[in-house]
Amino acid sequence: MKNILTIAQFTVREALSRKIVIAFFAISTFVILLFTGIFAFVPFEDLTGMIRMQNKEVINISKEIVKMFKLFVIAPLFGGGLFLAIFSASGFIPNMLEKGNIDLLLSKPISRSQIILGKFLGGVLIVLANIAYLIISIWLLIGVKFGIWNIDFLSSILTITFAFATLYALIILIGILTQSSVLSMMISYLIFFIFSPLLSARENVAMFTDSKLTKYILEFLYYIVPQTSELGSIAKDLALGQRVISFQPLLVSTLFIILILYLSIIIFDKKDY
Amino acid sequence: MYAIEITNLTKIYKTRALNKGEIKALENVTLNIEKGTIFGLLGPNGAGKTTLVKVLLGIVSATSGSAKLLGENVKNYLVRKNVGYLPENHKFPNYLTGEDVLMYYAKLSGYEISKKSKEIEEYLQLVKMGKWRKTKIKKYSKGMMQRLGLAQAMIHNPEIIFLDEPTDGVDPIGRKEIRDILIELKNKGKTIFINSHLLSEVELVSDKVGMLNEGKLIKLGTVEELTTSKEIFEINISETLPDLVVKELKTKYTFQINNLKISLENANTDKVNKFMDELRKLGVTITSFNQKKESLEDMFIKSLTETKN
Ligand SMILES: Nc1ncnc2c1ncn2[C@@H]1O[C@H](COP(=O)(O)OP(=O)(O)OP(=O)(O)O)[C@@H](O)[C@H]1O
Ligand SMILES: [Mg+2]
Repeated sequence: MKNILTIAQFTVREALSRKIVIAFFAISTFVILLFTGIFAFVPFEDLTGMIRMQNKEVINISKEIVKMFKLFVIAPLFGGGLFLAIFSASGFIPNMLEKGNIDLLLSKPISRSQIILGKFLGGVLIVLANIAYLIISIWLLIGVKFGIWNIDFLSSILTITFAFATLYALIILIGILTQSSVLSMMISYLIFFIFSPLLSARENVAMFTDSKLTKYILEFLYYIVPQTSELGSIAKDLALGQRVISFQPLLVSTLFIILILYLSIIIFDKKDY
Repeated sequence: MYAIEITNLTKIYKTRALNKGEIKALENVTLNIEKGTIFGLLGPNGAGKTTLVKVLLGIVSATSGSAKLLGENVKNYLVRKNVGYLPENHKFPNYLTGEDVLMYYAKLSGYEISKKSKEIEEYLQLVKMGKWRKTKIKKYSKGMMQRLGLAQAMIHNPEIIFLDEPTDGVDPIGRKEIRDILIELKNKGKTIFINSHLLSEVELVSDKVGMLNEGKLIKLGTVEELTTSKEIFEINISETLPDLVVKELKTKYTFQINNLKISLENANTDKVNKFMDELRKLGVTITSFNQKKESLEDMFIKSLTETKN
């Protein structure tokens, strides 16, 4: 365990040396400042009062506004945040495998499975820290401003990080297999932006065909391709306190992570460097 | 118990390129190295020196045979707690400073130190890198990287230290300093394994040397044993001898000829004089003559040509 933590620490250190991670923190800070500004200068109380006068029915306007703000954070964070996270994480394994670097690492009293697990843990931790920083800050701002201290919103820290972890496991496997950061990145983006959304809407896709086989293939692919799209919906629903339709994607993704990491370890173990 | 014990070690790299297939990097290598000694492994490029070290460190897995470090099979990753390694062309993450490198890599070896630990100062001073400790290694020169790499290999106080081309890129004064460090380590009871093709250097520090060629250990012994006490007479001439003349001379003398350089072994002064008389009779001008002891380099080149034929 100590070795895994050492490798994880090393990975975090590497991540911090990257401009992209710094940029991520900077953007988060910018968003937080933006919210602070909006909350400080826009008189929501007056707005609420005005709408209340026009509509006779009293609707909880501040609750609606808060919901909007939350969506305004979650949606870009899931899309843009993970985009940046994948971008910065795709180089971790290929960099580690560089000649002259990997030799030294492998000569240390650390097993190869510990290296893989440490790399995984380190990458996940840095993304977790980043997302937590943004979400907790926004949560605090909303709480102070509107007096709404809804902890549902905080759950998105875990769900978004989990979506990243799923793709990151795959990035590790591809990195070990090909030593190419570009390839890991491209495949992750393909899944995240194209395959997963397509497969989650597979019923609509299947409408265009009568073939049973195609339907089975789509169903099969749905379960083996990381379900990031579904994880995104779960993140949104949980954050907004809505009912989650199915937690199955969480289970499938957990299995996916375990399997992919296991495969990575087996392959890494067999390789000469 | 030996520090390093290698038995019938064979390594075949499977390459994916169809035309090549397999590369036999090591073939049946058996070698034992005693504790507290310096061992020098020689061999031309591609002989398998780095591969041998990598097998010992678990970076490459052996195809067959076995290897032990301090009595423990190298497949057990924990044996590497007591091992230091300076890889050839090593790379440290370039965002680290000198002191970061030492701290992190010591930690990876299971040796916890902080930036304030006296070891960092001590080892950086030892390799003459003290004033660079806070500089990003991005800015280091090749020789400086090599010095830092050496400090990294020693900082966790390991029992065995593997150095792959340690003086690569280091200036002559630095080389002398590194040699002194190695001898000091040996005096502390450490075992040192050096890969090199700088024969003259290996000769100066090694207790024992081995020579690897095309994956086979073709020579093994102390420097004295390998170089023997043979005396060589070297005659330099002004123009090449015609093949016919060489053939003729070879019936009477044993010698080697390499362009304008003729070397006679196991000859006495009398014989050498006669040989020179014959050369002069043929109208050959002798440009220089000297008598020397065989060096490791001569042995190296000779045994390589021997195995080629
Ligand atoms: N990872 C690898 N995969 C395939 N072949 C390899 C690999 N590493 C080394 N080889 C091959 O094994 C042989 C021995 O290489 P090695 O690096 O051990 O030689 P060396 O004696 O250290 O050479 P040098 O003096 O140039 O450092 C070479 O033919 C090389 O091409
Ligand atoms: Mg080598």
